[in-house]
Amino acid sequence: MVGTSAARRLKRVFTYGAAVLVLVVTAFPLYGIILTSVQTEPDIRSRDVAFVPTYIETEHYQRIFDEASGIPVAESMVNSLVVALATAFLTVAIAVPAAYALHRMAVPGRRIILGGFAAIYILPTLLFVLPLFIAVVQLGLYDTYIGLVLPYVAFTLPFMVWIMGSFVRAIPVEVEEMARIDGAGLRQLMFRIIIPLLRPGIFAGLLLGFILAWVEFLTPLLFTSDLSILTVTLGLFRSTMDIAIGQLAAATVITALPVILITAIFQRNISEVVTAGVER
Amino acid sequence: MTPQAQVVEIRAGRTRRRGRLVAAAMVAPAVLVVCGVYAYPALSTLAYSVSKIDLSPRFRIEGFVWLKNFINQLTEPNFWQATWITVYFGVMLCLLTVVLSFLIALLLNKTFFGRGLLRVTVLLPWAVPPVASGVLWVQMFHAEFGFLNGLIRAFGGEGGIIWLGGSTIALHSVLITEVWRWIPFATLFILAGLQIVPKSVREAAAIDGAGPWRGFRHVTFPLMLPVVVPVVIFLFVWAMKVFDTIFVLTRGGPTRGTTTLNFLTYRQGFEQFDFGNAAATAYLLAALTVVVIAGLGWMLARSRRLAGM
Repeated sequence: MVGTSAARRLKRVFTYGAAVLVLVVTAFPLYGIILTSVQTEPDIRSRDVAFVPTYIETEHYQRIFDEASGIPVAESMVNSLVVALATAFLTVAIAVPAAYALHRMAVPGRRIILGGFAAIYILPTLLFVLPLFIAVVQLGLYDTYIGLVLPYVAFTLPFMVWIMGSFVRAIPVEVEEMARIDGAGLRQLMFRIIIPLLRPGIFAGLLLGFILAWVEFLTPLLFTSDLSILTVTLGLFRSTMDIAIGQLAAATVITALPVILITAIFQRNISEVVTAGVER
Repeated sequence: MTPQAQVVEIRAGRTRRRGRLVAAAMVAPAVLVVCGVYAYPALSTLAYSVSKIDLSPRFRIEGFVWLKNFINQLTEPNFWQATWITVYFGVMLCLLTVVLSFLIALLLNKTFFGRGLLRVTVLLPWAVPPVASGVLWVQMFHAEFGFLNGLIRAFGGEGGIIWLGGSTIALHSVLITEVWRWIPFATLFILAGLQIVPKSVREAAAIDGAGPWRGFRHVTFPLMLPVVVPVVIFLFVWAMKVFDTIFVLTRGGPTRGTTTLNFLTYRQGFEQFDFGNAAATAYLLAALTVVVIAGLGWMLARSRRLAGM
C-alpha cells in the first residue's frame, strides 16, 4: 500500500467529506425538530426557513404542560412511565428463568419453543391484535393499565428470551459445574451465581423493555380511548390534530428525549447486544 | 448391574426427571404468555377469516362462510394494489437501507477524528419513537415551511415539492422516513460484521493487487453476505409491519397510495369493523411474508456455505 502523500490527503478529504455528509443526513431531521420547538410560531410558519437560530424561545415547552392545552402531557408521561417500568420488570422476570432453562437445562421441546419465539416476529402484529381487541373489551380491560401492560409484555417477551439467551450462553459452563460440585442447589445456583453474572444482560433487557413499551403506539391506539390513561405516543399523535406547530415539535422532543438519552448513554451496551447477534 | 449401581441409576433418573420438571416450570410462564397472546389469537384470527362477523351491538360470529373472505380479497383491485405497494415498499426499504448502511459502515470502520461522535449520531434515529419520527417528518415534508423545501430553496431551487401530495411521492416520502429510521440498526449490524471479517484477509487481497473495488466485490462482499442477509430479513419483516409512520404521515392516502397490506388490515378491521375480511388480509400478508423469508433463508444458508461459515 504505497500511496503518495497527495493521494493520501485526497483520501482523507474524502473520508471527512463522507463523515460530514452522514452526520448531516442522520442528524438534520432531529436538529430541525429541536430548532422548530424553540422558535416562535410566526417564524416557524415563514417560508424563509432559518437554519441557524438567532434566539431561543421556551414558550412551547411551558404551553404543553399547561392544563388548558387539551392534551395532558405530564399525566401521559406518568402513565407511560408506569406502564413501561411494569413491562420492563415483568418481561425480564419471566424471560430470565425461561432463557436459562432453555439454554442450560433439559426442557422438553426446547428447539420448538425457541424456533416458535423467533417465528412469531414474522407474522404481522395486527393478526394477533384483532382477537386481542375483542378479548380486551370482553374482559373489561379496555382503558386499563393491565390492558396495556399485558400485550406489551407479550409482544416484547419472545425477543427478550432470545436476547437473554445470548447472555446466558456467554456464562462459562465450568462456573456452574464448580458451584454444583460445591453442593449448590438450583435456587442457590440461580441467585448466587447466574443472576449476578447476568447483571449486564438484565440491565440491557430492562432498558430494552422500557424503550419498547415507551414507544408502543398501536396497542394504546386500539386498546384505550380515555384521556386519563393516555400514553405519550398516543398523546403526541392526538396533538397532531392541533395546529400549533411549535407545541407539536416540543411534544415530539419530550416524547423522544428519554429514549434518545438512554440510547446515547448506553450506546456501547446496545452495540454489544447487536454484535452478539452477528456472532451467532 | 450391581444393586448399588442400580440405586445410583434410579436416583439419577429421579433427579433427571425432577430437573426436567423444574426446567419446564421455569419456561412455563413465558410459554403461557406467548400462547395466550400469540397462539390463541392466531387461531382466533384464522377462525375469523372463514366467518361472517358482526360487531354491533357486540362481537358475534354469525356463521361460517368458507373461503369467501379470501376470495373477496383476491378478486378485489384494492387488495392487489396494496400487495404491489407492500412488495415495492419492502424491496426498496431493504435495498436502500442496506446500500446506505454498508457505505456508512465502511466509513465507520476507518479510523478518523470524530468517529466516536459519528457512531453515536448514526444511532440516534433509531432511538426516536416511530410516532415521533412520523410527526418529525411531517414537519420536514411540509410543503410551505418544511425544512426539506427550505433546504432546496436555500440552494437556489424552487422548493415547491408537495411531499405528501400525490400517491407515488407520498409512498416515497414514507420510504425516506423508514430508511432513515432503519439505517442505525443496519449500520450497527454490518459494522459488527465488518469487524469480524479479519482485516488481514482484505490486506492480503490488496497485496495480491486487488484494487478497492475488486477487493470489495470479491473479498469483503461475499464474506459479508451471511451478515447482510439477516439484516435484509429483519428489514423486510419490519417493512411488512410498518404502521405508525404511515398512520401519522398519510393515513394510507392519498387515494390509497400508501395503503400497504398491513394498513389495509387495520382499515378493514378498525375503520370498517369488518373483522372477517381483515383476518383474511392479515393471513394473506402473513403468507407473503413467510414465502419471502423462506427464500431469503435459503439464500442465507447458501451464502454461509460459500463463505465457509
